[in-house]
Amino acid sequence: MFWGVALALAVWLAVDHEVDELLDDTLHDAAQVLGSLLIDEEVLRHARDLPGEPLRSSSRGSSILGDRFAWQLVDPQGHVLLRSPAAPEVALHQRAAAGLDGNGQWRSFGLVLSPSGRVLYVMQSRAERWEATSTAAFSSALAALVVGVLGHLWLRMRVQVELGPIRRLSDRLRQADPGGVAGVGDLGGGLGEAEREELEPVHCAVEDLARRLSRRLDHERAFTAHAAHALRTPLAGIDAQLAVALREVPPEQRPRLQRVRDATGRLQRVVAALLALFRSGVELSQRDIELEGFVARLPVAGLDITVAPDSHLWADGDLLAAALVNLLDNAVRHGARAVRLSAPTRSQLRLEDDGPGVTAARRQELQRALAEQRYEGHMGLGLMLADMVARAHGGALHLPDGPRGFAVELLLAPADRSELAADGTAATGSAAASSAVD
Amino acid sequence: MRLLLIEDDDILGEGLRDFLRAEGHGVDWCRSLAEARAYTGEPFDALLVDWQLPDGSGLDWLRERRARGDNTSALMLTARDRLDDRITGLDAGADDYLVKPFAPEELVARLRAVNRRVGAGATSKLLFGPVEVDLAARRVRRDGQTVDLTGREWSILEALVLRAGRLVDKGDLERLVVGFDSELSSNALEVHVSALRRKLGREMIETQRGLGYRARLPD
Repeated sequence: MFWGVALALAVWLAVDHEVDELLDDTLHDAAQVLGSLLIDEEVLRHARDLPGEPLRSSSRGSSILGDRFAWQLVDPQGHVLLRSPAAPEVALHQRAAAGLDGNGQWRSFGLVLSPSGRVLYVMQSRAERWEATSTAAFSSALAALVVGVLGHLWLRMRVQVELGPIRRLSDRLRQADPGGVAGVGDLGGGLGEAEREELEPVHCAVEDLARRLSRRLDHERAFTAHAAHALRTPLAGIDAQLAVALREVPPEQRPRLQRVRDATGRLQRVVAALLALFRSGVELSQRDIELEGFVARLPVAGLDITVAPDSHLWADGDLLAAALVNLLDNAVRHGARAVRLSAPTRSQLRLEDDGPGVTAARRQELQRALAEQRYEGHMGLGLMLADMVARAHGGALHLPDGPRGFAVELLLAPADRSELAADGTAATGSAAASSAVD
Repeated sequence: MRLLLIEDDDILGEGLRDFLRAEGHGVDWCRSLAEARAYTGEPFDALLVDWQLPDGSGLDWLRERRARGDNTSALMLTARDRLDDRITGLDAGADDYLVKPFAPEELVARLRAVNRRVGAGATSKLLFGPVEVDLAARRVRRDGQTVDLTGREWSILEALVLRAGRLVDKGDLERLVVGFDSELSSNALEVHVSALRRKLGREMIETQRGLGYRARLPD
């Protein structure tokens, strides 16, 4: 609409200018024609019988210029010798003024008639000119507006038609799953032939990219499965051997062996977390999780865990377990004895411990590092894994301020990042000092 | 319980075998499907099967057994932890699915749970009139008084209770109690069963002469 009005305005101004020029040319031409008549002394002798009187409408000059123009013939002393009915009785200019002039209510063209020195002014009123220019400009602007709107609609329709193949290609790409069970060839076949020649390179590039992506995913899956088998089985074996050894060794050796077994358990959790971490970038399998039952099955010892009643989450169970086990493990190692878990919404998991917590400055530093994913050197595996798990769900890890201890909030769905960042950096934490948070 | 363990990893297989034996179970350990097939027809209380074995898939082996009508309890022991793997494992006929690494104590608890579900009910305590058998605690009471059983007597009672109401062939019972690589004479079995009937009452175990034994159904 804006462009339509702008176009109409531009047309208006252009037409106004052109019509103005045309009318000026007409004044000039009319002066030339009338001047050639009035230079005839015979005509002037007849006219002198009625000095200063307007010519009758049937007079020659009047009929030549019609009613839309007026004229007057002025002698060198400034007396009006002849004039048309609509012309003013006094001379338009006291001194001879040749050429175009736009003063007052008239637009005029002065023509000096030689050798008498008389001046013929052919003029047109401003109102008349305005009516002429505005009518022409309005009609043209209206026509331009109509043509513009129709042109816009037509152009839009054409663009829609022309963009159709690209839109259909986008739809097919959106539905394609290069990592799905169908595998590599499926995406290539699914795209089909290019609808337009220009899209052929895009098809080729996308299919090539999909093939490479699929190969990469297949490779990652194979590696994950292999790594899982290669790491999990020996760990289970070590644990089983230690369990047997604990029964067989003399009682005084049991505490040492139990510590080895505890360390093995921790190693198992770390390996499980690393495998989950690697997989978090590959795929996600979300389901409804009843938090209390879920937490009860986690291998965590030495912590009094309270779960808010009727807490449910919509998340990938394996990833969530990996994140939670490591967060709870952190809590134990940093002096917490009790942890409270709650899920205010199905995509929000809050964990608060009763440990010494961290300073506000340290918490803000951690939050900034999390926001920028600068894990190395800033935090340990626990927070890093929890953040990656949250990000795999489209969310992020948040470290809210709490009355005591250390609090972590996993957002398991996309959230307003700006709000998070503002809260995370502006909040002030408990003053309790703590060692580095892993 | 008599268990068939199929696990190709020596450290894990040996550790589980020794742990389960220390828990009072008879364990036959195979490192491959070929070895496991040698046990075809042998009675077991539960099968502990690794998925990926050197000569094939433990899951396919389980499917074959299920297709032949074998409904012995089976637990998959595997490193494959993806949700669809677990679903595939359970759909193939596994009664439970344990992801490595796991604590052997958890394996024992799950074995008990599986056998409770398959055998006698949802609880580990079973009542047979005046006799209460606690499978988890490996304890028996009669009229509220604890009854002392030898290890062999407990194994026989457990094998019969897990098959309560069904006739258990003498040969099968011998193998269930001692495992494939040990021997227990038919005479010795009868002596142990007699001792059990004396300690728990004649109604607890019914003798089908020349055929085998049957524990009464729980209350």
